Amino acid sequence: MRSTILFLTVLIFAQAASAGDGKNYGKELTLKEVTKISDILANPELYNGKRILVEGSIVDVCKERGCWIKIASDKDFESLTFKVEDGVITFPLDAKGKKVHGEGVISVKTYTMEQLIESGKKHAEKEKKEFDPASIKGPKTVILLKGEGAVID
Amino acid sequence: MIKWRKWNNILHRDIGYTITVLTLVYGISGIAVNHTADWNPNYQLQREAVSLKPVMEKTTPEMKQNVMSQLDLKDEPKSIFRPDPETIQLFYQGRTYTIDLPTGKGIIEHVRPRSVLFEFNQLHLNTPKKAWTWFADVYAASLIFVAVTGLFVLKGKNGITGRGAFFTVVGALIPAVFWIWFQYL
Repeated sequence: MRSTILFLTVLIFAQAASAGDGKNYGKELTLKEVTKISDILANPELYNGKRILVEGSIVDVCKERGCWIKIASDKDFESLTFKVEDGVITFPLDAKGKKVHGEGVISVKTYTMEQLIESGKKHAEKEKKEFDPASIKGPKTVILLKGEGAVID
Repeated sequence: MIKWRKWNNILHRDIGYTITVLTLVYGISGIAVNHTADWNPNYQLQREAVSLKPVMEKTTPEMKQNVMSQLDLKDEPKSIFRPDPETIQLFYQGRTYTIDLPTGKGIIEHVRPRSVLFEFNQLHLNTPKKAWTWFADVYAASLIFVAVTGLFVLKGKNGITGRGAFFTVVGALIPAVFWIWFQYL
């Protein structure tokens, strides 16, 4: 009885603590000024290594671990991946469509064809899927926001 | 000496009772989150195919109205997104509509938290943070206490100086051997 009461109390407490709007994930936001995602994508090298704050709608969430979200740009057909270290932040799968403010450091990396093929093979092995190296057409630049903190409305 | 063991057993028993349910929560959640490569332990995902008439409008607001009308959606979506020129996505709480505009074919993705398991996982992974961090620390300390006092519940040939020693060593060897194998072999 004592255990049950204790468990129910903490369950209610936990739910109350996790409920409500403007939920924080990870570190507190420190920046006030928002950088447009379209500006970052247009000039990635300008922002590489810089700490920035972005805002937008969440349009995709990592289905396995909740370790990344995609944030819609202010322009059509663009989004920015907000990637966090596994286990540090877990984004809920039902966050899709919600507004988010995310802070972190921009990372711009260009991968060679060989690196992309190697990575594609490993990913295919892990996912037990077919991989066609011919699907890689050339080097690719990946722009990520290495996320440290986010607030989801 | 008898008094020491008596208190050891009383505390082992009562703290053990108190943390039973929480141990089940952590244990069940532990199994669930160990297999995230195979399934999502927090949410149920269901996909449903839909077929609409091709969406030929020129602007995003018009496309949205057309899709909403064909799907008989009365409420405004939380947000919309155009991942590419031929696709529109409408986001509602717990469901996403992804429509291929030229063909009208699409997918409705429903996301629902798994009953009970969702709450178990949130507690296990300390998603709430705040006060739960303290509860979890107290629980972890209690678990250590119960493990240590458990070694001294019995005396004699089934206690820690006999049978207990054998099984305790076996239990210690399992992670040690695994780690050596994992790290060096």
